[in-house]
Amino acid sequence: MNRTPIKPLRLESLLAGVLNVGTWLASTVIAAGIGLSLFYRGTTFPKSAQVMTAGIGLLILLPILRVIIMLIVFAKERDYKFAVAAAVVLLILFAGFAVGLLST
Amino acid sequence: MNAGTELWLFAVSLGASALGGMLGMASGIFIVPILTLWGHVDIRSAIGASIVSVIACSCGSAGSFLRGRLTNVRLAILLETATTAGALCGVLLAGAIPVSYLFFILGVVLLLSAHQMLAKRRDPGLARIQAPTGRSTTWQLNSSYPDRALGREIDYRIERLPLGMALMYVAGLISALLGIGSGVLKVPAMDTALRLPIKVSSATSNFMICVTAAASAGAYFVRGNIVAPIAAPVALGSVVGAILGARFLISISNDKIRLMFVVVLVLLAAQMFVAAFGRGWFGGIA
Repeated sequence: MNRTPIKPLRLESLLAGVLNVGTWLASTVIAAGIGLSLFYRGTTFPKSAQVMTAGIGLLILLPILRVIIMLIVFAKERDYKFAVAAAVVLLILFAGFAVGLLST
Repeated sequence: MNAGTELWLFAVSLGASALGGMLGMASGIFIVPILTLWGHVDIRSAIGASIVSVIACSCGSAGSFLRGRLTNVRLAILLETATTAGALCGVLLAGAIPVSYLFFILGVVLLLSAHQMLAKRRDPGLARIQAPTGRSTTWQLNSSYPDRALGREIDYRIERLPLGMALMYVAGLISALLGIGSGVLKVPAMDTALRLPIKVSSATSNFMICVTAAASAGAYFVRGNIVAPIAAPVALGSVVGAILGARFLISISNDKIRLMFVVVLVLLAAQMFVAAFGRGWFGGIA
C-alpha cells in the first residue's frame, strides 16, 4: 500500500482545527456541568444546569462559526459563488434562532 | 431529576453511539426511540437532546475527514443551503405535527435504515467512465481525493445537482422533525443523484450534518425545548461513544453484526408504529 502523506489544503486544515478545538471545549464545559450536578446531588445547586446550558450553547455556535469562516475564506479568494452560498446558509441559521424566539 | 438519571442517560448514549460508530452509523436514530420508550422522556425533549448530540458527533469527527482531503467543502456549502432550508421548514412544521405522526415518521426512517444496512452500497463514482461534461463543470465542484487503498488520486465529478439539492432539502426537513442527522436520507442523495465516491459522500455528508442540525437546534435552544439535564449527558455520551466506536471499527462486511443491527432497527420501528397508532387510537398515553 502506498502511504504517501496527504497534504491537507489551507481551508480544510483551518476548519479541522476549529471544529476539533471547539468540540473539545464545548464537551469539557458540558462535562463540568454534569460533574457539578453529580457533586451537588440532592442540594438545589442551580449553577450546574447553567454550565451545561452554556456548553450546549457553545456546541450550537460551533457550526455557525464554521460557516462564517468559510464565508470569509471564499470571499477573500474571490470565490464569490460559494461565498454567496455561505452567506445564504448563515442567514438561514440566524432565521432558525429568530423562529425560535418568535415561537416561544 | 436525580443523578442516577444523568448517569443512565450518559451510559445509554455512550453504548448506542459506540455501536453505531462501529458500523459507521450515527446514533441519533437510536437515541430518540431509547429515550422515549425506556427513558420515559417526552418526545420533544428527546428530539432536542438528540439534535445536540448529532452536532457534537458531526463536529467531533469532521476534522479527520477534512485532513484526509475526503470532504468536498464547496459541494457541502452548496448543499447546505438546501439542508438548512429544509431544517427551517421542519422547525416550523414541528409544532404543528401531532406526536403520533412523529413516531410514525421515525418508524419509517428506521425501516429505511434497516433496508440500507441490508443492501450493500456499491461505489457509483468508480463504476463509471469519467467524462467531464454537463452542469457541474461550470460550478467548479468536480474534484479529486487521495485513496489510501488504491494509493492514487481519484478524480470524480458531480452529476444531477438539482435532484441532489431536492433530496437534501427533504433530509434537512426530516433531520429537524426527528432530531436525527438523517445520514440515512443523505446517502441515497449522494449515491444515486450526485454519484459521488463513497468515501467522499460519507465525509461530505458528515461535514454537512452539524450545520443542518444547528439550524433546528438554534430554534429549539431558544424556544427552551433543549432540556440541559437530559441533553448534556446524552451529548457527552454520544461523543465519547463515537470516539470509542471509531477505534473498534468493525468491517462493514461483517454480516452477522449487520444482521443483528437490522433486527434491532426493525424491532425499534415496530415499537415506533405501536406508539404512533396507540396514541392515535387510545388518545395520549404517557
